[in-house]
Amino acid sequence: MTVNPILMEVFKNRFASISEEMGVTLIRTAFSPNIKERRDLSCAVFDHTGAMIAQAAHIPVHLGSMPLSVKAAIESVTLQKGDMVILNDPFKGGTHLPDITLVAPVFANEPAPAFFVANRAHHADVGGMTSGSMPLSTSIFQEGLIIPPLKLVEKGNIDKKLMDFLLNNVRTPMEREGDFASQIMANITGVRRTRELIEKYGLETVRFYAGSLMDYAERLTRKTIREIPDGIYDFEDVMDDDGISDDRIKIRVKIVVQGDEVTLDFSGCDAQVRGSINAVYAITLSAVLYVFRSLVLADIPTNAGCLRPLTVLTQKGTIVDARFPAAVSGGNVELSQRIVDVVLGALSKALPHTIPAAAQGTMNNVTIGGMDFRNQKPFAYYETIGGGMGASSECHGESAVHSHMTNTLNTPVEALEYSYPFLVTEYSIRRGTGGQGLHRGGDGIVREIELLSEVDVTVLSERRKTPPYGLFGGAPGAVGKNVLIRKNRVEKKGSKFSAPLKKGDRLRIETPGGGGWG
Amino acid sequence: MIIGVDTGGTFTDFVYKEGETWGVYKVLSTPSNPAEAVLNGLNYLAHGRKKQIIHGSTVATNAILERNGAKTALITNKGFEDIIEIGRQNRTRLYDLSFRKAPHIIPSDLRFGLPGRILQTGEELIPLDIRKTETVGERLKDLDVESVAVCFLFSYVNPSHEQKIRELLAPLGLQLSLSHEVLAEFREFERTSTTVINAYVSPKMQRYIGHLIEELGRKDSLGIMQSNGGSISAETAMNESVKTILSGPAGGAVGAYEIGKMAGYSKLITFDMGGTSTDVSLIDGNLSLAFETHISGYPVKVPMIDIHTVGAGGGSMVSFDEGGALKVGPESAGANPGPICYGKGDRITVTDANLYLGRLIPEHFLGGGMALTEKRLPLYFENMAQKIGLSPQELAQGILDVANTAMERAIRVISIERGYDPREFTLFSFGGAGGMHAAFLARLLNIPTVLLPSNPGILSAMGMLMADVIKDYSLTIMKKQENVTFQLLSEGFEEIETKGQEDLRAEGIPDRGIMLERYLDMRYHGQSYEIIVPFNENYVEHFHAGHEKTYGYRNPDKPVEIVNIRLRARGVPEKPRFQKHKKMGDEPPSEAFIGEKPVVFDQRRMPTKIMARHKLNSGNRIHGPAVLVEYSSTIVIPPFAGAFVDEYGNIIMDLKDGGER
Repeated sequence: MTVNPILMEVFKNRFASISEEMGVTLIRTAFSPNIKERRDLSCAVFDHTGAMIAQAAHIPVHLGSMPLSVKAAIESVTLQKGDMVILNDPFKGGTHLPDITLVAPVFANEPAPAFFVANRAHHADVGGMTSGSMPLSTSIFQEGLIIPPLKLVEKGNIDKKLMDFLLNNVRTPMEREGDFASQIMANITGVRRTRELIEKYGLETVRFYAGSLMDYAERLTRKTIREIPDGIYDFEDVMDDDGISDDRIKIRVKIVVQGDEVTLDFSGCDAQVRGSINAVYAITLSAVLYVFRSLVLADIPTNAGCLRPLTVLTQKGTIVDARFPAAVSGGNVELSQRIVDVVLGALSKALPHTIPAAAQGTMNNVTIGGMDFRNQKPFAYYETIGGGMGASSECHGESAVHSHMTNTLNTPVEALEYSYPFLVTEYSIRRGTGGQGLHRGGDGIVREIELLSEVDVTVLSERRKTPPYGLFGGAPGAVGKNVLIRKNRVEKKGSKFSAPLKKGDRLRIETPGGGGWG
Repeated sequence: MIIGVDTGGTFTDFVYKEGETWGVYKVLSTPSNPAEAVLNGLNYLAHGRKKQIIHGSTVATNAILERNGAKTALITNKGFEDIIEIGRQNRTRLYDLSFRKAPHIIPSDLRFGLPGRILQTGEELIPLDIRKTETVGERLKDLDVESVAVCFLFSYVNPSHEQKIRELLAPLGLQLSLSHEVLAEFREFERTSTTVINAYVSPKMQRYIGHLIEELGRKDSLGIMQSNGGSISAETAMNESVKTILSGPAGGAVGAYEIGKMAGYSKLITFDMGGTSTDVSLIDGNLSLAFETHISGYPVKVPMIDIHTVGAGGGSMVSFDEGGALKVGPESAGANPGPICYGKGDRITVTDANLYLGRLIPEHFLGGGMALTEKRLPLYFENMAQKIGLSPQELAQGILDVANTAMERAIRVISIERGYDPREFTLFSFGGAGGMHAAFLARLLNIPTVLLPSNPGILSAMGMLMADVIKDYSLTIMKKQENVTFQLLSEGFEEIETKGQEDLRAEGIPDRGIMLERYLDMRYHGQSYEIIVPFNENYVEHFHAGHEKTYGYRNPDKPVEIVNIRLRARGVPEKPRFQKHKKMGDEPPSEAFIGEKPVVFDQRRMPTKIMARHKLNSGNRIHGPAVLVEYSSTIVIPPFAGAFVDEYGNIIMDLKDGGER
């Protein structure tokens, strides 16, 4: 078969719409605010080896890690028609425990699956030491229920025993059950649509174009890399701390660009830490893939082909490739941003006119859990807060948005106050916090919430000590602040903390600005 | 004399009816002052006779697209002034390292936060600061602000703070849009944005409508088409201008609905393929509504006909991206330089591909009024085809395949993704380029029948002429099912029903012509998206069934929540009736056959008859392959289809084997 450029475009659209349609089903029917309001989810289609063909433009941090989930499912379980595998184990294809992935095979007329579809969603609680399952932990066992690849659905029927077991280990079982139903439906949609494709064009053609689309993405990624001057570029930045000790943690990359290939060597990073900001390899891979996908200006499918020209070297047991049983709940959300910062920082030396200064470099994760005084039921709430983007040679940085590895939406104030015992007292742009320069960095956000019930708050954030860097003379963005406003006193807190709050106390988060340029 | 007027396109279209007489008139639009073309046309048609006009205007839309609405300020809660700028804090382009939003239409120095706070229960936590309100009022006057949007948190539960603002600021001569009146629904960003857009476009709309009224006779009446497919009086439209954006496409959908109904087809997928884009919508016995859309990046949450647009049309240009995939659109050759066959363009378009395959007949394009040059085509097709190792004919076919795939995807979004099976629908094709693609698109989607209306070019104006008067109301109540009964909910409707009735009386609708339709927005407790269901005793079952239809499952054990009550007050005017034509024989008259030429179908060149549509009679049958020409469009009947002319002059095309390949 030879590549017909017309069919290539047809298949590109078809695979994209399969993953998008899965996403629509998931968003519209889910129960977790994280999924339905914030859209912390990803849907994708894979070939029979688990190589990704297309991912809907959802959340970049899932990019490199979804294929590892599918591969883990393939390796651990023999899948029959109508089966679905559930998993969240970060050391077996997951990222952090709240991200639960469901994988389903698509069968043609062959004994083995011809394709796979998968979707991943961030659940508001998966058990563990604090509600919301984003704790200041020192081992993965404190972070919640670890689910290895297991069949949740067998021949179209949900395994009631497994479901019961899962629901008995989380704080908000009703909500989880609803979310699982949505995830199952999303996969059923994906399977059906992929089967229609096979019926229409035949397995051989669909398979051929799935491969061609990867070659296509690879070709354009290589073309982009060829435009980067050959050379060795390095960069170093730090994480504020791991939430357990005050020590800064070093993240370092050495990038070797040669022709149309790139090697990124992270072996100079610090060893894994006690606190929960360790990343598994999948996250490091996602961050690298995100950067190179962003450098390609053409509208290419994000798939396995983009990865082929990239080699990512890490040392096992370091913060960017943590070893079991490291605590990893924050690696996905926080360390991933710093990996992007150092990769972009190194590339800025090669591509000064393309690369922006550092964005806020954190997702400002806030989890609040407790008993709602209005109905005496437990609740778990999780949100992330946007901030400033970095300025570039082209323009100022955007203010008050999520950057790089996440793109989740906020929860509307009115929706929040219906669902939780909160009173939002401020939600505004933190003016003047972007770094000065020829182009200014974007401003951060101020979010202040008064608690109407007694709650436990956990904040996992970064860039409270070391500001987002500026480039080529631009000033760094302002560091963020975490503040507790209690009855008679104001407490300034660190980057990461857990604290009980009383009724009437307020939590105030001020997010960092982006770096300036020039 | 009743007249429907659509200013949407190059031409301002008029459809009029007087007694049993029907007619169509077109004048060139006057974009800098659309009223000029409207008034010229009206004067020409009516000669001073009494007129009843329904008008679809693009004034509100253009004010937003061109960012030249009124100087507008926002008053909101202190600490929340930036909500309209933060939006949902996401970026719309995920992989854009230099992502920028367009600056908001209300800059930060025109946003004013006032102390005062209502809770979700409706309770007042902090009273509105009167002294500060007065200070803001003075400041607004100093700044020459023309229009003010007011949106406080939870104002739809307790509007007293917004009402207080009106009490204090209206006397200063400031024009106010209050959020609980514009959109009494929760989610502050969307409500604020809708209110801001209303405040921004209303003054412009008032001037436009005011000018029209001044120029019309005293006995004339003027209605304005809304995006929801109904009309409202000009006076109402001046204050609720946000409801008129997208009124043109809504007219098209209403026209399709009415004509389809008359011809006996109530389940339609409308397909309007123009030069740069294609609009599709779904009609399942009723027009489908969407309740949120984005215009220029701003969310607008008012009911509107659910129309999905893709950037592929007749003028869409063909290119290859760096990776070697063939692209059609989104860039369009427009009218200038236009496709290659117009004589000036030098990039292949969809129209060129149709012409290359013989599906467009140059000597009959626009009634022969515009010469198409076929001569230029082979060179361009051969060059491009050679580069990718295809024959020029395969390339032309491929271009149409890619364009059809894009349009197919749009139809999938409004049908399959929402739980509708296209096989149960009829494809209603209008717009200049639609007739050449409709049969092929129907085949892709297994749609068995295609309807091509007579006078396809003025469908939108026709829809305006036939539209009901419609007013939509909604109110967030946020109640769990266990806490309400059918009786209690019914009582909840009483207040807005009284308002609906009063408003329609004010629109001049007699009581017997008023219909009130009750709906609920419902969801499973804990979900974030609602499903709209008709409200009657079985509303809970309607919800479960609706959820299952849309998303594939129901969950009878989960508690159900009622988010909004929704009322549609409809005034049904007397509808113009079309005359039926007498059925003639199967065989078209000989004067309808105007030629024969080879046309390529599925890579085969086949002798194909060319026929003049206006010469066909009701009852005539046509076997594919055939090409029907008329003034503003061309209809291709491929070998796998046949067609007949119905009693209203519509062409009904049937795909053999129900469209199955």
